[in-house]
Amino acid sequence: MITKVSHMSLFVLDQDKAFDFYVNKLGFKIHTDQKMDNGFRWLTITPPEQPDLEIAVLAPLTPGAMGYDDETRKAFKLLLEKNAMGAGVLETPDCRATYEELKAKGVQFKGEPKEQFYGIEVIMSDGVGNWYSVTQQKAH
Amino acid sequence: MPIPADIYKKLVHAKVFIDEHFDSPIDLDAIAGEACISRFHFHRLFRRIYKRTPHQYLTSKRIDHARRILAAADCSVGEVCMRVGFESIGSFSMLFKKEIGVAPGEYRAALKLSRAMAEEQPRRVIPHCFIAEIISEKSNIQEAGDAGKG
Repeated sequence: MITKVSHMSLFVLDQDKAFDFYVNKLGFKIHTDQKMDNGFRWLTITPPEQPDLEIAVLAPLTPGAMGYDDETRKAFKLLLEKNAMGAGVLETPDCRATYEELKAKGVQFKGEPKEQFYGIEVIMSDGVGNWYSVTQQKAH
Repeated sequence: MPIPADIYKKLVHAKVFIDEHFDSPIDLDAIAGEACISRFHFHRLFRRIYKRTPHQYLTSKRIDHARRILAAADCSVGEVCMRVGFESIGSFSMLFKKEIGVAPGEYRAALKLSRAMAEEQPRRVIPHCFIAEIISEKSNIQEAGDAGKG
């Protein structure tokens, strides 16, 4: 019986830049940052208030990473460089405040926060291949 | 009643001030001063936007930084306490345990143990689907058939 999600994969162009974005700018916590002697870096982070959800930050363009062949790496490169990967929805208690703060820190957004039927939302890029909906849920 | 854009900017500025100065002896007056808003209104607006009081947010920043120092450095719990802006080890330890679930010393010990395990036996830490193809002669990852490490 499946009960919950324990790990999610997040594919990025560069693990160092992803670290800077998620940990230094968004406030995610480092769960594990372990480099193996063959160069593989196991980096997992957790959202600020979800310590049991590990997000594995993976760099599929690294030669040899996860056994991907050249063709697969090329496909990843194309998608990540186009910022085509919709990674999910990030929740915030206040969309406007989060937008103002992160914009001042150089984070890229598509437009400004907008009222939707589900709350207030703005679209954000992590700068390493993924975009998110940053959403302040409608109060019930 | 919606919050005007200029007020948002002031509140965000004050929140960033906390982010950058949490390890100093700052208080609500200093933080509200950064926003150029009265203490009362600042407290009310901060709580409305960030769903916690300025003091709660300041404490969480200090505890979070304490976790990072405990993970990276060998300084004493007392030194960590001072470095993150607490003035009393008693308060620091109590608040740390309240937020993290264990005392600072126990937290560090548990972290050291899990790191040692990750270094010696990565297969026990990394889900195999992520590493199935990275095993090589030069890897420190042991094959499943290797004897006796249990």
